[in-house]
Amino acid sequence: MMSRLRVFYRLIVRPLYREPARTLLTVLAVALGVAVVLAIELAGDAAAGSFRSSIETLTGSANLEVTAVGGVPDNVVATLATLPYPIKVEPRIDDFATIPSTGQSIPLVGLDLIADHPEGFSLPEEERAGTSSLAQTLTADNVWVSSRLGAKPGDTLRLLINDEVHPYTVRGVLKDSGDTGGLVLMDIGTAQRALNRANRVDRILITVSATPSLEQWEQRLRSVLPAGVELRRQGSESSENRKMLSAFRWNLRILSYVALVVGAFLIFNTISVSVVRRRPEIGIARALGASRTAVLSAFLGEAACFGAVGGLIGIFLGRLLAIGAVRLLGATVDNLYVSSTPAPIQLTPLVILLGLAIGVAVSLASAASPAREASLVSPVEAMARGEREYTTRVHKIRDLWIGFALAIAGAAASFAAAIAGKPFFGYAAALLFIAASAFSIPALVSGLTKISSGMLLRIGGVEAMLASRSLASSLRRTSVLVGALATAIAMTTSVGIMVGSFRQTVQVWMNNQLKADLFVAPATNPSADRHPTIDVSLSEKLAALPGVAGVDRFREYEVSYQGLPAILGVGDTLGPHPLGKVEFFSGRSTEQVNHELRDGDNVIISEPLANKHHLRTGESIVLPLGDAQVRFRIIDIFYDYGTEKGFMIIDRTRALRYLHDPAVSNLAIYVAPGADVEKVRKELESVAAGHNLVIYTNRSLRAQAIQIFDRTFAITYALEVVAVIVAVIGIAGAMLALVIDRRRELGLLRFLGAAVSQIRKLILVEAGLIGLLANIAGLALGIVLSLLLIFVINKQSFGWTIRFHWPIAVLLGALTLVYVATVLAGFYPARVATSLNPIEVVHEE
Amino acid sequence: MDLTQAKPSAPQTPSSLRHTDLLQLREVSKTYVTDGEPVHALNGVSFTLGAGDFVALVGRSGCGKSTLLNLSGAMDFPTTGQVLLDGVSTSELDDNGLTRLRRGKVGFIFQAFQLLNTLSVLENVELPLLLAGESKTAQRAGHNLQLVELADLGNRMPHQLSGGQMQRVAIARAMVHDPKLLLADEPTGNLDTQTGNMILDLLRRIANQQKTAVLMATHSMEAANIADAVVRMRDGRIEEVIRR
Repeated sequence: MMSRLRVFYRLIVRPLYREPARTLLTVLAVALGVAVVLAIELAGDAAAGSFRSSIETLTGSANLEVTAVGGVPDNVVATLATLPYPIKVEPRIDDFATIPSTGQSIPLVGLDLIADHPEGFSLPEEERAGTSSLAQTLTADNVWVSSRLGAKPGDTLRLLINDEVHPYTVRGVLKDSGDTGGLVLMDIGTAQRALNRANRVDRILITVSATPSLEQWEQRLRSVLPAGVELRRQGSESSENRKMLSAFRWNLRILSYVALVVGAFLIFNTISVSVVRRRPEIGIARALGASRTAVLSAFLGEAACFGAVGGLIGIFLGRLLAIGAVRLLGATVDNLYVSSTPAPIQLTPLVILLGLAIGVAVSLASAASPAREASLVSPVEAMARGEREYTTRVHKIRDLWIGFALAIAGAAASFAAAIAGKPFFGYAAALLFIAASAFSIPALVSGLTKISSGMLLRIGGVEAMLASRSLASSLRRTSVLVGALATAIAMTTSVGIMVGSFRQTVQVWMNNQLKADLFVAPATNPSADRHPTIDVSLSEKLAALPGVAGVDRFREYEVSYQGLPAILGVGDTLGPHPLGKVEFFSGRSTEQVNHELRDGDNVIISEPLANKHHLRTGESIVLPLGDAQVRFRIIDIFYDYGTEKGFMIIDRTRALRYLHDPAVSNLAIYVAPGADVEKVRKELESVAAGHNLVIYTNRSLRAQAIQIFDRTFAITYALEVVAVIVAVIGIAGAMLALVIDRRRELGLLRFLGAAVSQIRKLILVEAGLIGLLANIAGLALGIVLSLLLIFVINKQSFGWTIRFHWPIAVLLGALTLVYVATVLAGFYPARVATSLNPIEVVHEE
Repeated sequence: MDLTQAKPSAPQTPSSLRHTDLLQLREVSKTYVTDGEPVHALNGVSFTLGAGDFVALVGRSGCGKSTLLNLSGAMDFPTTGQVLLDGVSTSELDDNGLTRLRRGKVGFIFQAFQLLNTLSVLENVELPLLLAGESKTAQRAGHNLQLVELADLGNRMPHQLSGGQMQRVAIARAMVHDPKLLLADEPTGNLDTQTGNMILDLLRRIANQQKTAVLMATHSMEAANIADAVVRMRDGRIEEVIRR
């Protein structure tokens, strides 16, 4: 064993030291690939995992919960509490408050503190001393805060709850629980008052005994509960959210693998170069008794070394990248899905193992083919024949046919349906197209370099002609480089086209949908699952202002539909532009649909909801509202890009029959013809004095939405940029190898009269040609992948219809940047080439 | 021919052409540092070559033949002494100056032919002209291929040629820009005797007809016999000059 290791070290590891720059670049390419995958995994866990904390804060040992749209009536608490069963019933308010001075949003929990003291809860001194009654202490405007908020007992804490700021007195400090970002606890009565939820609680937590079974408990309890409330297992909201986030995380995860795939190309290249260079050595080793397996193991061992070292560096790099990624992901999860406070990033032993495993596995898989070739080398042939004949063995026509077959398979896969909401066939189609392009690239490189050789001589001089010939002569190596860079470019292009198309679609949608001049909402932090309310009387006051032509009221409720979160919207269907100007699948006008909405228990649903639950017009959905289960008929489906969760919208007048809460979530205000919007806005502000509201103009609301959109996709761009960096690093490393392998030729050119500047130009033109070929192949593949992303992967994952759009400026910018980066990657190899001593290199062979 | 007898420290000149002074080496030394130790490749060599001279350098491996060729071809600078190529001292030029000098005045041929495998025969011959940015390159390259009797193989790739053909292509390439000095490093070393003789005849013809000075390094006394003068080298010095 030791002797084998010694041979491995001498023949495989030691040569790596001779080219430290190239070895380092290969390791760095693997490290970046691993780092990106780990960063997304770690950041995804931290950002998506943390929503649990706010929902499950202080839930104790409860195993069931009762919820209802718009809140559970108080009398349900009494019903449950008086049952002749040994159960613990805890009513609870769950919401958010904002600290106005810092803008920080924190979970607000209201508990029946007389009956139930959470762990760490303590009463203030005066209560213990008996100078104040318990009920008085608990029901006054007192709060208990978690230590993370840094408040002391006796401090005054101002909290923005819905549209009003209330002062509270801190009566105690709770020990921080888990990974919450802070917590405010108050008595349930105080919370109900603050949130204007008289006679309702958000949920009732129930703790039952182990026997009978949980199923039997559910049966027993359901029989006494009114139809409009839901009984479900505690934690199911978390699991619903997790399920909702899974498509988002899946797509992000897949994107993070791109850098790794590009890295795999480069490992393949590195090991291929290694095999070509050491062909005579392999021959000698085989002649001296090395078996085929030994040769195979040696080259796989080399790849494993790259993988292990790259993986180790990648783990730490990934941990660093995760810090930035979690900030972006946390904001996206918060804005689009569910309230979350990023949890700490945890580099567990499992994650470390995962990083190492990814690095080594990808390296081994990429090295398998060249290592196998090395093992098949015949000793006589290897020692007798040079490298030249070996490197020309590329079956470009056969490969082109394979590429064609793979593309056909990819096209076929793109028509297959999603499995469990995940576009597995879409991903497979993307992989097949990438493979098809990889197989077609040798023919492309060979064809283009042949066609352009004469032209290059005329345009770029003899250096360009020599560069193109050199690329064509080392077709295999060139193809791998072009393939790696083309894959990175294709992913960047496709994501660019997809995001650009999506952005354009959203902009057009907003232009149609948002017709009001001003929009009013509570000034709390925006989050996808928080729907703070505005006092309804305020909407009436605003509507009465002289410059206001009309006010549309809209209320949002977070609901659960078939195990997934959704939003129930309750809106005015009468008015100047009720519900804006919605575009329906049926092509009907908003007025026609509104009329039908008012007519009965009818609902319109958004496209993502329809796709997610396979709902069609004419079908029904049942929603638990107030005291009843109400069956609503779907009368149309509308295009919506506001939330991936999906909207179901019903008429406000009809909704108030079931839900007795007239508060609204936001208002759309139409300014009277001829009135000055800015003046009206100021009047609104003065009427709303005392309410903490934010008033957007039509333009500022759209700008904010686009800002959120851009922030959401910032991470995808970041992932693509890393993939391109990996590819460019690979180009630099491979160019360096190319220079070293062709040093005799470069030296000879100096003998034949080439100036140093011509050698430099030759290498830079070569890098430029690789960049150009990769841009051509990458753009073509990118367009195909963008169609897949828009019409298959995105549609199946999120349910949105995106209209194809060419973001020309973005594409041109990205392609130019990649091209410039590739040429820049040639600078160091060019420097090495110009510093070669021609006398030495010409005479050494 | 009237050749001056060898004196290791004195300038050695093929006398009949002495007046042209195409190449002059004056007390030239070249020292390399290998692993921190100085290695004296050439030691006070003086030498003069005129147009049309054909001189063979002979001696054991490591005696300084290749170093002398490289210094003569403006590929390197002497450590001390002077190399004058057509009256221009190479030590006074920068790298670009050396490149221009080589482009105009020097052609190289090598033992291993050193053709570029990625270029066709014609393109190989054309290459020095293209690198020098000259015009009518294909025409001139074609003409030179005719001179070495390979005009009909212009479109072939180097690996499709025999060793002798490859060396003839290398000669055509070295002569394509009409250099005044042709430097040949073991031009027959990789060839059989018959082919080698053919190459030597070709070099002889070039010296006679085009008045190109030929300086050829060789191990073979048989090859050296074709030259006007044979310079025997030993340990970086000229040991003897034999006139013919």
